[in-house]
Amino acid sequence: MLSVKNLHATVDGKEILRGIDLEVKPGEVHAIMGPNGSGKSTLASVLAGNEKFTVTDGSVEFLGRDLLSLSIEERARLGLFLGFQYPVEIPGVTMANFMKQAVNEQRLFRGEEPLTAAEFLRMMRERSAVVELDPKLTARAVNEGFSGGEKKKNEIFQMAMLAPRLAILDETDSGLDIDALRIVATGVTKLHTAENATVVITHYQRLLDYIVPDVVHVLYKGRIIHTGDKTLALKLEKEGYDWLINDCRE
Amino acid sequence: MEAFLDTIRRFRAVDGRRLTVAQSEATPFAAVDPGQLRVEVAAGASAQLAVVHTAAGAASLEIDLAEGARLALTEVFLAEAFAEVRVRQAAGSAFALVVVQTTSANGSWTVGLEGRDASCEADCLFLAAADEHCVVRLRTDHRVADCRSRSLVKGAAAGRAVGEFHGLVYVAPDAQRTDARQQSRNIVLGDAARIVAEPQLEIYADDVKCSHGATVGQIDDEAILYMRQRGLSEAQARRLRLEGFAGDVVSRCGIEPLREALDALVAAKLELF
Amino acid sequence: MAENEKELLDDLGGQEYKYGFTTQIETETIRKGLDEQIVRLISAKKGEPEWMTERRVKAYRHWLTLTPPTWAHLAIPEIDFQEIIYYAAPKQQRRLDSMDEVDPELKRTFDRLGIPLEEQMALAGVAVDAVMDSVSVKTTFRETLAEKGIVFCSISEALRDYPELVKKYLGSVVPYTDNFYAALNAAVFSDGSFCYIPKGVRCPMELSTYFRINAAGTGQFERTLIVADEGAYVSYLEGCTAPRRDENQLHAAVVEIVVERDAEVKYSTVQNWYPGDREGRGGIYNFVTKRGLCRENARLSWTQVETGSAITWKYPSCVLAGDNAVGEFYSVAMTNHFQQADTGTKMIHIGRNTRSRIVSKGISAGRSENSYRGLVRVGKGAANARNYSQCDSLLIGDRCGAHTFPVADVRNASAVVEHEATTSKISDDQLFYCRQRGLSTEDAVGLIVNGYAREVLAKLPMEFAVEAQKLLALSLEGSVG
Repeated sequence: MLSVKNLHATVDGKEILRGIDLEVKPGEVHAIMGPNGSGKSTLASVLAGNEKFTVTDGSVEFLGRDLLSLSIEERARLGLFLGFQYPVEIPGVTMANFMKQAVNEQRLFRGEEPLTAAEFLRMMRERSAVVELDPKLTARAVNEGFSGGEKKKNEIFQMAMLAPRLAILDETDSGLDIDALRIVATGVTKLHTAENATVVITHYQRLLDYIVPDVVHVLYKGRIIHTGDKTLALKLEKEGYDWLINDCRE
Repeated sequence: MEAFLDTIRRFRAVDGRRLTVAQSEATPFAAVDPGQLRVEVAAGASAQLAVVHTAAGAASLEIDLAEGARLALTEVFLAEAFAEVRVRQAAGSAFALVVVQTTSANGSWTVGLEGRDASCEADCLFLAAADEHCVVRLRTDHRVADCRSRSLVKGAAAGRAVGEFHGLVYVAPDAQRTDARQQSRNIVLGDAARIVAEPQLEIYADDVKCSHGATVGQIDDEAILYMRQRGLSEAQARRLRLEGFAGDVVSRCGIEPLREALDALVAAKLELF
Repeated sequence: MAENEKELLDDLGGQEYKYGFTTQIETETIRKGLDEQIVRLISAKKGEPEWMTERRVKAYRHWLTLTPPTWAHLAIPEIDFQEIIYYAAPKQQRRLDSMDEVDPELKRTFDRLGIPLEEQMALAGVAVDAVMDSVSVKTTFRETLAEKGIVFCSISEALRDYPELVKKYLGSVVPYTDNFYAALNAAVFSDGSFCYIPKGVRCPMELSTYFRINAAGTGQFERTLIVADEGAYVSYLEGCTAPRRDENQLHAAVVEIVVERDAEVKYSTVQNWYPGDREGRGGIYNFVTKRGLCRENARLSWTQVETGSAITWKYPSCVLAGDNAVGEFYSVAMTNHFQQADTGTKMIHIGRNTRSRIVSKGISAGRSENSYRGLVRVGKGAANARNYSQCDSLLIGDRCGAHTFPVADVRNASAVVEHEATTSKISDDQLFYCRQRGLSTEDAVGLIVNGYAREVLAKLPMEFAVEAQKLLALSLEGSVG
């Protein structure tokens, strides 16, 4: 589904990704871990197409398409979803209106008829239940005045609405108390099928108690320095990254 | 006024029409009724300057801050003077202005932020009573990118007095990442008093943080009520509120003996309110 | 044509003279230029009473002593007032037989604005017999208004049929001495609308749809007079989201509103005159004087969405003369390419306990200049007056200007006046977020701008709010990315 080869990317002339290789297949859950500043969020942003970053080398294939040649919105409509670490506030734009446009753009892209207002509202009601999102929030402006937990739930709610093929969740667990974490993680798990894949970027093992990964990668200084199964996350939790980092000193 | 001037006499008097600060000076400079004065602060140097207007007349100041220079200017109007001050700031320089008008006065300050990372802070106060007429004009020109400015202009008009504030923040094209904040707070205390507030923004760059706010109102009733509940008379409470109102500006004066003198000056003026 | 349609048309024909906005097509024009003779000629051609002629002449003589105002933040090319023809009947448009003949570009815009087909036809000048729905709307509309005793007609008709009302109110809020363009308008105004709501009457419908269709072809010097008598209510909508082209470059309209004791008037404007091309060639100069006078307990609310015109000079104002009167001004002004707008309001507090609220949202894109200019004046007698102003600017691109020029002038010791202004841009983060959810850049910009303007758009009558939203997005096309 996703095939990243030798991906290099820079921001303001500084190289952040220095040769990433990553293969994600349908039905898989990958976790990407690593210390601060290792390039985890950059990888997510680059895959989503954030124009702040410049790809200097490498290739990315997504569902058979050359991902890097597509615009941000084309990637999204194709089924790539990024759960933001810091969801942006958009004053005056209601969640409902925002999602209606997003859902209908996706339908248009697939050659489907746009949803009527009633169909859309029904869909929104159903999907907001997935993350126990207070339906009142959908009448409020996008992320405006949302608490940290509400913002993250709102990201997963949007994921439920857009039903992506590949969801990249960037530090979705940060700033969540234990209840919110459970709700968010359970939501992600409910949305998981054999056809879609999830890449979870996280600092902490605790999220992986709920979202059990098939593969765990350790990102360090812009490269994946180690890949293992779910036990790797436990080991990292206990022993930290030093043993890996010492291994790969240049 | 004499007590106030005594304080000033302890500072280094500026003679003639030019003040050049080549290296940082700990003792404040003072200029009384300067007429025409040119101030230059060399790169990296810092200085404090007090300018006092004690007689009616015109004054004109030209101030140049070289790269990384710092100047704290406190300008006090004890008489109906007309003052025009132009400041040019090179990269990384910092200018802090405190203005106090306790009589009819007309002052105009134009600050040009001409080098990156220059910053300007201005705090002005006018207290106009009886038939007095105070005017504060403050223009901040953000000519290049990455500069900061903040201004707070407070005024109170009692009796038949008039207080005017005309502010303009100008942001030139390409002066990106400008951070400019302008606040004007005013109190009308007499039925024949008048406040005119004109806080303007003229902006030609998009990646900027610019805001301004202006209020014209009275001493807030709740605070008065609160203090009276604690046993103060209404007059005492009002007086305290006004002192606090003025104190926000006076406290920004970094020259300590001068700040104390200003407190006394303001206290004496508030007797008329 | 079906029989019932014919009947409707006959019916319309019969009533047209009584209520109609559709002025008869004049074939004659007069020479260009302006002098006293021309002013008298205009009045004569309109068959006006003597007092009206004298008023026009007086205004003209005063106008001669004035010069065009230069205080606005606008670069106005010099206008040769002797090159203008001051009395020309609206240009007779060739009637089109069907929507197929309409310029596809115009049609595309209509569709994107979501204007109903019948109205599209009327606006595009398709033969009226094809416009069945709106004709019937018009007819029932008139009957309803007449039942309530509401007068809604052209100023020319009002001068003929209700001379006392016109004499009493015309020029009472915006006197000819007010300013250069108001004086010019008072001397040469072509026509406009007159609306009178009798005491205690609540106008049962928005005066919008009707006006919208008839608005096509209004003159260059339009004059509007609205009188809401004691306790009356009316919501009035001027203008249209559909793009309007006009061969006359200069427009100097005057709108006067009298809001008597306990009455309420809501006046909404959507202005989408031709703004000129992308290089700043052409476009309408729109110099408008709008003012309302509020008596005791009266309420006047101005809402405007300004997206058109090459130059806009406009300050809808409220004179809060009576105690407890309330004035409101809600504005979205958008400029793109080389447009210039200097717009805002004046709130003049005279009565006690008067309140006013100003919400202005400026949006500048391209190489345009957009200024908010406002005055809040609290007179000596306006005890407990309150004003709150919020003026925001949104910049799109780094080659436009966004300016705020507010003045607070307070002469009362119990008044509270507050003004706040902020400046922002559409952040890259917001755009990235929206696009990550599948929205195109243009849709994202449209969405964010509409969110920004939401507080003002919410004040518009429902059907116009929807169109205005689309209009904002449409006017921004090509300004980002």
